[in-house]
Amino acid sequence: MEEFEFVRNITIGQYLALHSFVHRMDPRVKLICFVFLVGAITFTTSYTANAILLFVVIALIRVSQIPIRYALSGLKPAVPIVILLAILQITFYTSGFAGGSNCVSFFRWGPIDVNSCGVQLAVVSAARFVDLLILTSLLTFSTTVTELTLGTEQLLAPLQKRFNFPAHELALTMTIALRFIPTFAEELERIMKAQVSRGADLGQRGAFRFIQQTRSLLPLIVPLFLSALRRAEELVLAMEARCYVGGRGRTHYVEFKSRPSDFVALAIVILFAAGILLFPFAY
Amino acid sequence: METTAQSGLSVRKIVVAGVLAAISILLGYTRLGFIPVPNLSGNATIMHVPAIIGAVLEGPAVGSLIGGLFGLFSFIQAESPIFKNPIVAILPRLIIGITAYYSYAVLKRWNEYAALAVSGVVGSLTNTILVLGMAGLFGLLPWAAMLPIVPQAIAEAIIAAIITVAVVAAWKGIETGVGGGSRKV
Repeated sequence: MEEFEFVRNITIGQYLALHSFVHRMDPRVKLICFVFLVGAITFTTSYTANAILLFVVIALIRVSQIPIRYALSGLKPAVPIVILLAILQITFYTSGFAGGSNCVSFFRWGPIDVNSCGVQLAVVSAARFVDLLILTSLLTFSTTVTELTLGTEQLLAPLQKRFNFPAHELALTMTIALRFIPTFAEELERIMKAQVSRGADLGQRGAFRFIQQTRSLLPLIVPLFLSALRRAEELVLAMEARCYVGGRGRTHYVEFKSRPSDFVALAIVILFAAGILLFPFAY
Repeated sequence: METTAQSGLSVRKIVVAGVLAAISILLGYTRLGFIPVPNLSGNATIMHVPAIIGAVLEGPAVGSLIGGLFGLFSFIQAESPIFKNPIVAILPRLIIGITAYYSYAVLKRWNEYAALAVSGVVGSLTNTILVLGMAGLFGLLPWAAMLPIVPQAIAEAIIAAIITVAVVAAWKGIETGVGGGSRKV
């Protein structure tokens, strides 16, 4: 029966309760910093900048007191695909980020073209992946899901005033989704057991059994959707009965307060990200 | 009369978006949403189907909302360098609901079932094409390596169409009392 146990294995948010500076930061400021760093990592193409970024994210993990092996736990299962992609990028790319203006070719045979641009592409892509893996772990290990949701809502609130962007609605949707995941996991367990007790073959997993896999999926997915929509109807009724009105003028139980050190951190991160993106690195 | 300040989304839309986003995330967590296939990507997915269903039931905004949350989680949870990139993981998923909704809205007058199936296919292809396109632009995947993904994209589109038709038809049957669905709570 072990294969039906989902509830036990689902952990939403991986918050580690520590008392580092990163943990104590205002979630709004932390989110802005996160966005700037992700931007810097995603758009930089040079070796030097990536080495600096790798150093910085590792330093941030040290500051946050999160054990580095926690932050890197997602790396191990990804190694085969990283290597596979790197091989593809090295062998087949004729031009890298620069558009192929000054690539040095090492080896050429038919469609296979090993050149410096392909190598740069492979190395930078792998480095980006590691950087982002560490950075997202840093965010999820140091911030609770509630903080993230409320932080997002309050950051987007000015957009709601100016452009009618549904910031509050987005946050509420996120909260509802997170609230219902365990409920649906339980529901899914029940549906699976019910179908198996009626003789359904849920099949073994394997790359070459995908047709059987798909067919065994339908009797699980359809009831799951229907029960979810039914629950949605009930929740709508309950909220409307209580005259729920979202949006403007709603106050929050938790109020975030930014400290001066938050602004200092924010200024440093913005300057750093701008520096990484604008500085003309030679390599 | 002063109207209450609400930016366009009704309670129903918010709730349906939340519930369907929960399913999408759950399919990812339990790995039930991944169907192992023998090619480079390793997995066909049905995690985008809630976005299609949400769009068909409650409109493009709901579809985008679900797609956005699905994208956010696939970015944070990604185990592959391809999806550890916000432009690849999040942006294309916002569009799924929009294309799915409009293809449904256009074809609905002609035939409801066909409209549902087409919106499933269109939504699914939107996901595949935009994700691979972004991955190609970022140099994460050589264009030549995408050829083996074509059969998978077709399979995903068919599965998405089947699930969309099954779920929406059953749900609307329940809602109107036709189709023999019984309302159990």
